[in-house]
Amino acid sequence: MSEKQVPIIAFNQVDLSFGDTHVLNNVDLEIEAGKFYTLLGPSGSGKSTILKLISGQLTADSGDISFEGQRVNDVPAEKRKVNTVFQNYALFPNMNVFDNVAFGPTLKGMNKTEIKNKVKEMLNLVKLSDFVDREIDELSGGQQQRVAIARALANDPEVLLLDEPLSALDYNLRKSMQYELREIQQRLGITFVFVTHDQEEALAMSDWIFVMNDGVIQQNGSPEDIYDEPINHFVADFIGESNIVDGIMKEDYVVHFVGKDFENVDAGMRPNERVEVVLRPEDLDLTSIENGKLVVTIEDQSFRGDYYEITARDDDGNEWQVQATNSAIIGARVGLTFDPEDIHIMRFNESEDDFDARLESYEDDDEI
Amino acid sequence: MRVWKVMRTMMKSKQQRQIFYIVPYGIWLLLFVVAPLILMLFQSFTTASGHFTFSNYAAYFGSGTYLRMTFNSVWYAFLITVITLVISYPTAYLLNQLKQKQFWLLLVILPTWINLLLKTYAFIGLLSKTGTVNNFISLWGIAPQQLLFSDWSFLLVAAYIEIPFMILPIFNSLAEIDSRLSQASHDLGANKWQTLRYVIFPLSMPGVKAGIQAVFIPSLSLFMITRLIGGNRVITLGTAIEEHFLVTQNWQIGSTIGVVLIAAMIATMLLTRDRTRKNLRK
Amino acid sequence: MHKKFRWSNLYLVFVFVLLYLPIFFLIIYSFNAGDVMQGWDGFSLKHYTELFVDTRILEIVVNTFLVALLSSLLASIIGTAGALYIYNQRHQLAKNIFLSLNNILLVSPDVIIGASFLILFTVVGFTLGFTSVLLSHIAFSIPIVVLMVLPRLQEMNPYLVTAAKDLGANNLQMLSRVVLPVISPGILAGFFMAFTYSLDDFAVTFFVTGNGFSTLSVEIYSRARQGVSLEINALSAMMFLVSLLLVLIYYFISNRSSKGKKRGGTNLVMPATEGL
Repeated sequence: MSEKQVPIIAFNQVDLSFGDTHVLNNVDLEIEAGKFYTLLGPSGSGKSTILKLISGQLTADSGDISFEGQRVNDVPAEKRKVNTVFQNYALFPNMNVFDNVAFGPTLKGMNKTEIKNKVKEMLNLVKLSDFVDREIDELSGGQQQRVAIARALANDPEVLLLDEPLSALDYNLRKSMQYELREIQQRLGITFVFVTHDQEEALAMSDWIFVMNDGVIQQNGSPEDIYDEPINHFVADFIGESNIVDGIMKEDYVVHFVGKDFENVDAGMRPNERVEVVLRPEDLDLTSIENGKLVVTIEDQSFRGDYYEITARDDDGNEWQVQATNSAIIGARVGLTFDPEDIHIMRFNESEDDFDARLESYEDDDEI
Repeated sequence: MRVWKVMRTMMKSKQQRQIFYIVPYGIWLLLFVVAPLILMLFQSFTTASGHFTFSNYAAYFGSGTYLRMTFNSVWYAFLITVITLVISYPTAYLLNQLKQKQFWLLLVILPTWINLLLKTYAFIGLLSKTGTVNNFISLWGIAPQQLLFSDWSFLLVAAYIEIPFMILPIFNSLAEIDSRLSQASHDLGANKWQTLRYVIFPLSMPGVKAGIQAVFIPSLSLFMITRLIGGNRVITLGTAIEEHFLVTQNWQIGSTIGVVLIAAMIATMLLTRDRTRKNLRK
Repeated sequence: MHKKFRWSNLYLVFVFVLLYLPIFFLIIYSFNAGDVMQGWDGFSLKHYTELFVDTRILEIVVNTFLVALLSSLLASIIGTAGALYIYNQRHQLAKNIFLSLNNILLVSPDVIIGASFLILFTVVGFTLGFTSVLLSHIAFSIPIVVLMVLPRLQEMNPYLVTAAKDLGANNLQMLSRVVLPVISPGILAGFFMAFTYSLDDFAVTFFVTGNGFSTLSVEIYSRARQGVSLEINALSAMMFLVSLLLVLIYYFISNRSSKGKKRGGTNLVMPATEGL
């Protein structure tokens, strides 16, 4: 029996403006306990704002913010069971590593032994056990990061908020920290809410992603759902690479774009409805003109290590990005091929719920 | 421990914290910054019996004595400023070329940390009739001169005291000038003097202005030095104020002169304020 | 080029000699067996012994340091509160107004401060003496404490406060465990500057000291008016040592804060033109 749990955090029509800027536009969201959530979006999308509303740093203009069903809008930051890892770490320079991590427990009035054990446990978790007595200014960026995480976790929060914590780290360190954070979250079993503008990072780490833009949640879902089935142009563009062209759904399973009809796997739309067609570069292949579904001219290519990123243009003037394992000749006319399953259709102004409903309606048909 | 409890409750919100801070600070502001100046202003508009009047100002601006004294004071201050500027600018310029700038600068500043009275007293010793200078010149057969209690001794001692205060801002201003500018100037064919005149000096003007401000205003208000070194020959606005407050007990005129001094101070600050656009400095 | 080098060096030497001659002159004559600053009658320590049995001077020295210590302590507390208040101001206009008000006492001539304080005390009916001097010293020291503490507050990472609250600190804990420790170098510098201002002050003290109480500066003034006494020279030598010590301390304090130093220049603040 699946009983719907009370979400650990819920936003109901939360709205916030700073002067003339409407930062959050009647946002609804639910966060379940024990999962890794990511708020993903460009700068100014409102993702950090949501984080600060959860931690209590900001107050909403209207709407309800609840923890486990209880409205917490008026509860001050220091009283909430939430802790934050800040982008610039904000470690206390007048204290060493131990004192920083012990800060929360000390305030709670735990005794010396308890505090010592807690700090040890936390530093072990972030793999910094040998750094107990170090001064903050002796630490590298990555080490400060971990201390910040240990410090926040030492408080036994139910939810850990992370505000773009990895943005200052170099590439390799970033990648390894992504694994570690995921590991820590799974080991502790608490809820993580992670903010980033890096969609690769979001896809790699999360159980669930909220994609944001302009103060509105554009789409939310698992990484696979968001990647495979973006519901609007913004999400399709923001997540992964996309080729997006205008098209017409002539009828179920037939879509018309760049002057031709193609077989695809979407249905449930009005006949001849105008839609957007999404094809991911990695789903496209270069082939001979006869075998291709489209004809394109190669314009540019760059070597990316594990693939060639090729830019091509069709006769209608649309640009196509292709990821191919083999290189192409610039200026050559070649064929572009893809599978029907790779064509993703986006209706204009379709909400997530409508999308899910439509999906259910014709996916059931398939199962017959 | 009750104090802590009270403090803790008081600090509950930012509002309350601000009240906690502003109470002592605000009391100080009102009592010791605003009130004294207002009181002085009032005194200048009052008679000895407490009635409102313009007579103090009338007396001040009407009488030849006061105006002459004011003019002299301004003139002395001007001379002192010029003398210190002439001595300090080259010093600051040359110091700026040296390697151990910080050390030499510290040497320049050290005298300012020595009590003013002592330095002035040193000059009493030097310039008195039985003092060293007279001793020195008597070696050459010149009779002991009355060096103290003259205009010149006053100017000398005042300039001596003020020199470091003129050197420092000019030095800072010069040090901020990008050294590549002089290189560029030489590269374009200017010699050292031309570079100084057309490039360095104009760019150091903010420092010069600051120095003038730092020297001119105190020079108007000197009173201790005038008494010890200048005797009754030299009277500045500062001396006049001290005289009226502490000797003749005429606080009304004393306050009037005080207001004049404040006005002179504001005027000087306006004239010498830094009009260059500063970048956002923390 | 080489010749010019020599001239400029000579000029600098000349200026430094000029600056230090009077001081060394004083110190040298403190060892003079005679009683005037003229000639040389042989080496003697008699003026120092004279100094150390002069109970009046010794009492005044104690008073001077006591006033300096107390006033700088209280000024540091009130000044830090003021700096916190100004730092927390949201509106730039309010901030600027308070900063301007703060700096009034710093830029005003001492005569004006002294005279206006005298009026204040008299109007209020306050007797002149130790307390009036103490209050006045606190008053003119507060602005410099604010100017030493405020930059530290502005340099501080504001997220430290957010982090402290995030971890559960209330306002008192946030202040005592995070903010005050982080700005403590500024508070220390402010305390030190206040101490120095107080030690050196002449003019303001002169106006508000009344008849009974005296500080070193005021006492030296009285004695100097009466003429030369080599005991004062001995006193000068001692005070020169104290000043040297203060400058060294100051040098270390201002060098520890290498942040915020203007390029090439210096942050060095000088004691105001006290007593002028």
